Amino acid sequence: MTTSKENLDETPFQTAGPFLHIGCMPNAIKIEKLYQNDLGETPFKNKNESELITIEGSVFDGNGFALDDVMLETWQCDENGEFREESGFARFIPNNLTKKFILKTVKPGSFKGFDGKIHSPYISLSISSRGLNMTLNTRIYFEGDELKNDPLLSIIKNCNENSLIAKKISKHSYLFDIFLQGEEETIFLDI
Amino acid sequence: MSVKSLIRRNYNKQPELDFPDYKSSIFRAPKNKKISFPSSDSEILGPIFNKNIIGELDNNLTLNFSKNKKSPLGHKIIVYGTVSDQFSNPIEGALIEIWQANSAGKYLHDKDKNSAPIDPNFAGCGRCLTTSRGYYEFLTIQPGPYPYPNRGIEWRPMHIHFSIFGKSFGQRLITQMYFEGDPLLKHCPMVNSIADEKAKKSLIGALDTSRSNTQNLLAYKFNIVLRGIKQTYFENRREGL
Ligand SMILES: [Fe+2]
Repeated sequence: MTTSKENLDETPFQTAGPFLHIGCMPNAIKIEKLYQNDLGETPFKNKNESELITIEGSVFDGNGFALDDVMLETWQCDENGEFREESGFARFIPNNLTKKFILKTVKPGSFKGFDGKIHSPYISLSISSRGLNMTLNTRIYFEGDELKNDPLLSIIKNCNENSLIAKKISKHSYLFDIFLQGEEETIFLDI
Repeated sequence: MSVKSLIRRNYNKQPELDFPDYKSSIFRAPKNKKISFPSSDSEILGPIFNKNIIGELDNNLTLNFSKNKKSPLGHKIIVYGTVSDQFSNPIEGALIEIWQANSAGKYLHDKDKNSAPIDPNFAGCGRCLTTSRGYYEFLTIQPGPYPYPNRGIEWRPMHIHFSIFGKSFGQRLITQMYFEGDPLLKHCPMVNSIADEKAKKSLIGALDTSRSNTQNLLAYKFNIVLRGIKQTYFENRREGL
């Protein structure tokens, strides 16, 4: 870490393509014996079912088709609002029949950031796939939480901010659909 | 007290998301401008990955899927380089995952409709963590070029897909490495979605003749740069300095 001027350009992105599973989640496509587990199968180990929430949804393209060749990655703090480096990361794909993804995780806590501000609970989400020349980034906030003073939500008041808020379906389950294009286009972030 | 922030991404040196020459981007690339905001803890603090996830053969694609120690078809190559940040600091413990076609240009994947043969001894999947100097290395097979449906049939230049995690979610990168001298490079819409020539060139692995001539394989060097993180101190609350 330094405060001087950077001297190199970031390496450019390229699309992850349709075969990303080979490198990122080989077990999910039955390349089995290479890695014991796919990375990010469970964001937090040793949690009881009762401590977990589910977030379910689909990723829709501009034709309204739910995609099954996208890879989603999430990164979050724990229930106490702490980022724990080796826990909190998850990687998953939609089911190829239902086209829905399901994330089971702990609901993140709110936290006081190094900016000194209180951040509402959220999960960072990235989306990579064929047709996306760069990985997309967004966030999942939660309906029912105090969201008014969140530093990010408070600067995006004039667009489709509801696209960042998962709808509460029951006590422990939420719905979060992602729209790549169209009237309901999800807000994507220049993180 | 200090605030950490990622160096703003320079989109002039990144691919265009909405790039109709690459047909699949037409109905997938979002149309609205992305929202910029100051980095918060989630973009800076992790994830990082533990050494114990990496198996002994994970960076050797010539052996990690071979049956009875049979070699995959094709010629062996070494792909190596460093992962650093924009200030040239090496990044230790960066996770690199790669995937690629076999020497015939075929992926071990149900959705690959190319008629080329699969290789029973090659999965095309590898990973490693960088060393304290940010160094990584893979032993693999030269991937073949392959046809795919775009505007009619088009051919991908030879490439290896790379996924990289540095120390921060905001440093996350997914890209492809190409090969010096490949005649298909200039025809590839995915490559050409990057307008900046220097940026485009930075994705081309350079043939390392000195290493190639001393080992029984061709060596390619591909250095990767992830975003830098700036730390700004507040004078009035400076602590411990
Ligand atoms: Fe590919």
